Amino acid sequence: MATEMAMLHDVARCSACRACMVACKQWHDLPADMSTPFKGQYQSHADLTPTTWNLIKMNERTDAGGRFHWDFIKFQCMHCAKPACMLGCPEHAISQKDSGAVVIDEAKCVGCGYCRTNCPFNVPRIDPDRNKSTKCDLCFDRIEHGMIPSCAKTCTAEAINFGTKAAMTKLAEERLKEVRMNHPDAQLYGVHPNGVGGTHMMYVLPEKPEVYGLPANPKTPESIDLWRDYIRPLGKIAIGGAAAGLAGLMVLNKLIGKKGA
Amino acid sequence: MLIENRYVPRHQKSFTVCHWLNAISFCMLFLTALPLYADTFLFLYNIFGAKTLQYAHRFFAVIFIATPIIGLLSAREGYATMIKEGFSFGRDDLIFLLKFPFTLFGMHPNMPKQGFYNGGEKIHILLQGAVGTVLAVTGLILWFGNGVIDNSIRAWMIPLHSIAAALGLAAALSHIYLAVVQNPDSLHGMTEGSINARYAVHHHGAWVDELIKDGKVTKQEIERAA
Repeated sequence: MATEMAMLHDVARCSACRACMVACKQWHDLPADMSTPFKGQYQSHADLTPTTWNLIKMNERTDAGGRFHWDFIKFQCMHCAKPACMLGCPEHAISQKDSGAVVIDEAKCVGCGYCRTNCPFNVPRIDPDRNKSTKCDLCFDRIEHGMIPSCAKTCTAEAINFGTKAAMTKLAEERLKEVRMNHPDAQLYGVHPNGVGGTHMMYVLPEKPEVYGLPANPKTPESIDLWRDYIRPLGKIAIGGAAAGLAGLMVLNKLIGKKGA
Repeated sequence: MLIENRYVPRHQKSFTVCHWLNAISFCMLFLTALPLYADTFLFLYNIFGAKTLQYAHRFFAVIFIATPIIGLLSAREGYATMIKEGFSFGRDDLIFLLKFPFTLFGMHPNMPKQGFYNGGEKIHILLQGAVGTVLAVTGLILWFGNGVIDNSIRAWMIPLHSIAAALGLAAALSHIYLAVVQNPDSLHGMTEGSINARYAVHHHGAWVDELIKDGKVTKQEIERAA
């Protein structure tokens, strides 16, 4: 699919039913994940895991006026336009599809965890058994065959929408206007270019991003450019230069020594 | 008193053990992470398995970090000398450094008498000290920092860790060359803890003078051996 696509989560419409979490596991054949013990909380899993790539976060919040709020958000890979994971992967195991989906090639992945360290959203999870990095792949295999991602497909509340980037941007603007009526702090997230170039996972947020645990100003770290364009080549020159220089000295001294004798 | 009438005692046994622990763990740390640094060495992952090498990296990291701690406890004198000497860089050290490149080409310029460590060794001590500290701190942040330190900071640990490793190896290569090829007599210091008197007088004259002054060796002994 050559068209740039995007997913839009309208947080105001989400009822946190978690059908999207189940659909994700179904399509990707991910086993049930019992890593979070039940202690009466509403949130199913404490965090993303190697087998839970899509998580509805359910946060209970009481605002300054003493009013109680549920803050729901669908959390997974943001599919950045400038993906830190991809740019900082030493094995070139992560690629960006034309659709905008950022996908890990498990055959190339060595499980080093650089992608997780570099990710401004701290999304990828290393599967300790297989030693492979895992995350949402935006169902790239589905969308390349004209289907929509399984989470969007199953969402009954029309909270998760999927389509071309242009269509989703338009929808986001419309939804924002509606949400603004009741939520003055409402804003779009990832729709317009930001520090990570914009994201293909976009949101209509009724509250500020921090409320949902999202960084207000996510940024593809500049350390990646430094590492890739300077440190890696310079280190090779330093080590290669030292080795070559010393080998040269050794040969030279052999020759001088012979002359002297 | 000289050992076997020839060798000047130089290092405590525990100090030489720490040197080799540091050398072996550094090399193993470098090798086990090399595939992440240069694509050419990806074959190491293919042979041994990425997971094995990544776990080995953590194993040797523990040794690498534990070594100076063991050293400060068991080889206090050696470490104290190293730290004290490293931070006392004088005029003679500078003259040594300026004349030193000539020795690489088999020349023997007239050098000022050098102490326990010469100017070049002092720089190497400081450099490896700095490199080791950076490697340990950035490595620990990468290993344990997730969820404690934000990724916007942790991401910087990757280039820092890489450049420190490269600098450390480049310097270590020179260190190994000077020890093995140019001054093979110096090796005895790290294998047996002592160096022959002739080498000691030549390369660490000021230190030998000090030993004589302190009555640890006698002038006659040294003259006889040298």
